[in-house]
Amino acid sequence: MTADADKHLLPVGRVSRRGLGQSETGLAFLAFIILALLPIFVDGYAIYILPQYMLFGMLAMSLGLLWGFVGILSFGQAGFFALGAYTMGLAMQSDLGINPAYIGILLSLVVGGVLATIAGYFLFSAGVRATYFVLVTLALSIMVEQIAVSQSDITGGWNGMFIDRMSLTFGALGEISLYEDAPAYYAVLPVVVVTYVLLRWLTSARFGKVLAGIRENEDRMTALGFNISLYKTCAFALSGVIASLAGALYSTHANFVAPSLGGVLFSTEVVVWVAIGGRSSLLGALLGGILVATLSNYLNAVTPEYWQLVLGLIFITVIVFFTGGLAGAVAQLPRLWQSRS
Amino acid sequence: METAISVVVDATLITLILALAAFGLAIIYGLVGVINMGHGAFLTLGAYLTWAATTSGIPFILAIIIAAIGVGIVGLILEHLIIRHFYDKPFDTLLLTWAFFLVMTEIIKIVFGTNFRNVVNPLPGAIDLGLVEIPIYRGVIGLVGLALIGGTAYVLYQTTLGIKIRAMIQNREMASLLGLNIGRMYKLVFTIGAATAGLAGGLISPILSVDPYIGNIFLIRSFFVVIVGGVGHLLGGTLVGSFLIGGSETLFALFSKQAFAQTVVFLLAIVILRFRPAGILRQR
Repeated sequence: MTADADKHLLPVGRVSRRGLGQSETGLAFLAFIILALLPIFVDGYAIYILPQYMLFGMLAMSLGLLWGFVGILSFGQAGFFALGAYTMGLAMQSDLGINPAYIGILLSLVVGGVLATIAGYFLFSAGVRATYFVLVTLALSIMVEQIAVSQSDITGGWNGMFIDRMSLTFGALGEISLYEDAPAYYAVLPVVVVTYVLLRWLTSARFGKVLAGIRENEDRMTALGFNISLYKTCAFALSGVIASLAGALYSTHANFVAPSLGGVLFSTEVVVWVAIGGRSSLLGALLGGILVATLSNYLNAVTPEYWQLVLGLIFITVIVFFTGGLAGAVAQLPRLWQSRS
Repeated sequence: METAISVVVDATLITLILALAAFGLAIIYGLVGVINMGHGAFLTLGAYLTWAATTSGIPFILAIIIAAIGVGIVGLILEHLIIRHFYDKPFDTLLLTWAFFLVMTEIIKIVFGTNFRNVVNPLPGAIDLGLVEIPIYRGVIGLVGLALIGGTAYVLYQTTLGIKIRAMIQNREMASLLGLNIGRMYKLVFTIGAATAGLAGGLISPILSVDPYIGNIFLIRSFFVVIVGGVGHLLGGTLVGSFLIGGSETLFALFSKQAFAQTVVFLLAIVILRFRPAGILRQR
């Protein structure tokens, strides 16, 4: 309605305290150890599919950064994911003498970053309100899907695009093919871990504090002399880069990209993951992505309609009652325990 | 010459149909400030209710009335259970209405199945105007859209209810102090918005194949219509916005593929939104 209605966008003050806080580092360490050791105990399909879910988790972190730490919500993360995936696919078809996968990864970083910077600066410099930003980002992901469908001579249209698994080449030192599932698993996991650590570091550094300041009180940060639109654009660009990289790695792992990867439904799935996992915790977002995607994969095979229905209801419950998501619930456990004893 | 006229006719029809589809959204966003991401689900539900009613032998006109009432009731339930607690948090209502969309779409899939359904066109054929032919049914929905907007103008500016609604938009506290039951007014407006979307979904159903995601086609476009036209300008804004979005899409589609035209129009809408966030009609 009016600009002042928008000031109540998020109950951010409470959300930030609902994060995992001090215990997050330990829990993250535990989660990564489990993920690192998992291939010793299980093999087969789980090891094939988990890297894709870890990349979904990485996509979720790209949204978690925006939503939890800057207070802006993007419905367009899947658009960047698909953009990275198609960039990778096109690069893999090229023959430039250098390992095409490296070119694809580099290009996907550039493409995602440049597009997010342009879109972000264009909108943030005008102070476009947060609710409109959601709509624009939703439109962005629809546009990516539409372009992927309509430019069928490049992208394969509805049929999608097949992409080979990449190899890691080390010049004269030889190469490691990621064709087998276990090497692919151990190639994806470090990327996800590094992304997580980098984001944790960034959000606790000065950059993250300024972002939190913007989230809590934009006017005050402006008065203090911070260039709000610049910071927001940087955060959005970073999240675009991460989403695009996740997409590039996903495409070479899944061997396939289709336009629906950029579509509305996948875009919202990302929002659901982050809301359930916990919007104010990067680990919550990451694990939300992995867990909900795993559950969805399993239950979609059993009862697709009812599972999606239940997921929607869980989503509503989280927004109404548990703003902090799973991460918030875990953070409150010790307090509950203390109050009982 | 003939192509020029047929483009004008096409653009006009698409403008009016888009205005009809977007009007329920414009009511809910413009009057109670809820970014209703569930609008697409309202349209879809309206289309399915119309399909269900017509296939069980109910005449089309009755069927769309059933659709409007049915979707209105669903909107009322949604408002009462959830939305009314979140009117002062636009961001949460955005997420909640989106969640409603996810849930409603699944319920539609469970109840009606995922196959394409066709609603029989109640007025087949076309009127020959010499240079161009206008499909009768499309012409009729265009007129219904206009009538709906005109009727809403009448209600808003000529009736007591309209005065109350406008008072509520202008100053909620003051209107409440003067004895207006704000909660009930919001509920009423939300229900009317939902019912309008249901009616629109029903009216549009014969010209498209009905599937569970039919409303999605209109969701983002409807939003751009409302924002580009100007949120406060319920009547003129919806028409101007529809013309800019629908009309320009028709024009661009002459030169390129439909999907590409839509992309260009979205870009155009984003640019307008950036430079005129209050809409085209608002004076600076």
